[in-house]
Amino acid sequence: MTSQTYTFRIQRNMPGQVGTVQSHWQEYKVEAEPNTTILTLLETIKGGQDGTLTFRQSCRSAICGSCAINIGGRTRLACKTHVGTVAKDGVVEISPQKNQPVLRDLAIDIRPFFARVHGIKPYLQEGPERAGKVTSTAYDQVNHVTQCIMCGCCYSECTMAEVNPKFIGPAALAKAFRFVSDPREGLKTERLQALANPNGIWSCTRCTLCVDVCPKEVAPMEAIVKLRTRGLNKGVNTSAGAKHALAFHEDIKQTGQLNEFTLMMRTLGIVGSLMETGMALHLAKKGKIPSPFPHSVTGVDELRRMYESLERSPIDVETKAKEAVPE
Amino acid sequence: MTLEFAYYPGCAAKQIQREADWAARAVCQELGIGLLAMPRASCCGAVSLRETKPAFALAVAARILSEAEAMGKDLVTICNTCLQTLTHANYRLSNEPELLEKINAVLAESGVRPYGGTIKVRHLLWVVTDLVDSRTLKAKITHPLKGLRVAAFLGCHSIRPEEIFNHASNTSEGPHLERLIQLMGGVPVDYVGKDRCCGFHVMLSDKHEVHTMAAKNCLSAKDAGAQVMITPCTLCDMIMGSVQPIAEKTVQRTINLPEMNFAQLLGLTMGISKERLGISRLHIDPVPVLSSIGLA
Repeated sequence: MTSQTYTFRIQRNMPGQVGTVQSHWQEYKVEAEPNTTILTLLETIKGGQDGTLTFRQSCRSAICGSCAINIGGRTRLACKTHVGTVAKDGVVEISPQKNQPVLRDLAIDIRPFFARVHGIKPYLQEGPERAGKVTSTAYDQVNHVTQCIMCGCCYSECTMAEVNPKFIGPAALAKAFRFVSDPREGLKTERLQALANPNGIWSCTRCTLCVDVCPKEVAPMEAIVKLRTRGLNKGVNTSAGAKHALAFHEDIKQTGQLNEFTLMMRTLGIVGSLMETGMALHLAKKGKIPSPFPHSVTGVDELRRMYESLERSPIDVETKAKEAVPE
Repeated sequence: MTLEFAYYPGCAAKQIQREADWAARAVCQELGIGLLAMPRASCCGAVSLRETKPAFALAVAARILSEAEAMGKDLVTICNTCLQTLTHANYRLSNEPELLEKINAVLAESGVRPYGGTIKVRHLLWVVTDLVDSRTLKAKITHPLKGLRVAAFLGCHSIRPEEIFNHASNTSEGPHLERLIQLMGGVPVDYVGKDRCCGFHVMLSDKHEVHTMAAKNCLSAKDAGAQVMITPCTLCDMIMGSVQPIAEKTVQRTINLPEMNFAQLLGLTMGISKERLGISRLHIDPVPVLSSIGLA
């Protein structure tokens, strides 16, 4: 492999007045082979060109989670990212994680992130739902989320966190799933109730960014989806998001089609829907009023039979995590 | 080669976003792509059914895929969420033989033809850009965009998760939607937010956040010089287009970025009438921008 010159375009951030940072972009040239890691090159710059450049790092092995930064438009671990895979015309753009307060250059204040993780009570609790026996497959569900190294890549890319800083966020929710799924946990239902509160599991947009940016294949969104299912199975169904989700299988059983006309009513209730009349009128202006009586699809009785069959004899279709093998 | 597909427009295109269905049909007629009706196909269940009734969700998807299989055609949709839901189910049913067997047992017991796992799920956009010969397509584009600056809003559910799409939705030549813009004679605008979320799936539960999201992405495109935005998804259309004027009020900023389904803009470049493409149903009137290049 031949080396070439890369331009690192790095966002420099300096603390200014209380709570503000002054930002500017600075360019550095480095000689590297395409399979050199971004972290190695940041060290090269810091050691040889500019000792003031600030970034976090520790293990160099994608296990400590310290070096998550925004590289080429995506939050990634600097130690796991090869420069050749992210450079565009020889230029690599680097900035700190998003959705987090910036301290200096590429270092962010990780405390708000960990406050969210601590908020979900990341420890086992005594209680009535604690299993007496633990089977050999009991940890199939826990495994994929225990890979999490708390690097913050998912939170940085989270589209809901971007507009709602109160959102618990993918990493903390994945951690919550780990405890809901642990057979030894005593307060599973209580956890599910708390997680269904505003800014919790039902605020996830399902954009799937956290799944694709996670460097450890935790798939936080899949954990959120499973938390929603677990909650509904325990009767935690009063939030708007839960009611909205519940409308679907009823409609599919009835006509096979979604009834968009009554969907809002069933999600928000009468009062909520009245508050939304502005939206309905807005759509009506363009003739966009769905039919209150959608046609039934051919063979809707088949759908009902499928539904009833699965209610009588449920099938477990949850994806199982691969056995956790140390890297 | 005749291109014929089992056509699955999705619930939104049958109801609120009907214009996307009209445009898809009109464009396919021009290109000689056959869209065959699926009378038995139900709602795919979207993101919700997988949460409330995960096994039923797979059975519902298998029943839809089985209908396409019985027709001997791959399935084509114009809704990103239908695309992701059916692709996800198809991915699992094709890769987990035991699961397919269990789901097929439920289908058989309910009088439904079992699914053999042989169907591909495609987006109409991929068909147009990958399967239609580019010379044929270019010959049909009689009213090119003449350098119109177009923002491609890709929509989460046709690009993620990478595992199930296996790069089908994103090639080294860039996103399909941007390639289509180039084929139509337009210039794709690069902007932060093009691969982010419209917020549709939390539209009712997190209204304020969705408005902020929509406004942010539209403003980002507009600030980057976009004159019009297109999406490959009826749900993105609803938020970025229909909800945009309401989002403007929430964030107290004027945006006024005309937004439409990719098939509508493609139809216009093929000389198909505005009426057939349902342009008057758009909440932000694109006619002033389009008339500047002689398209409307």
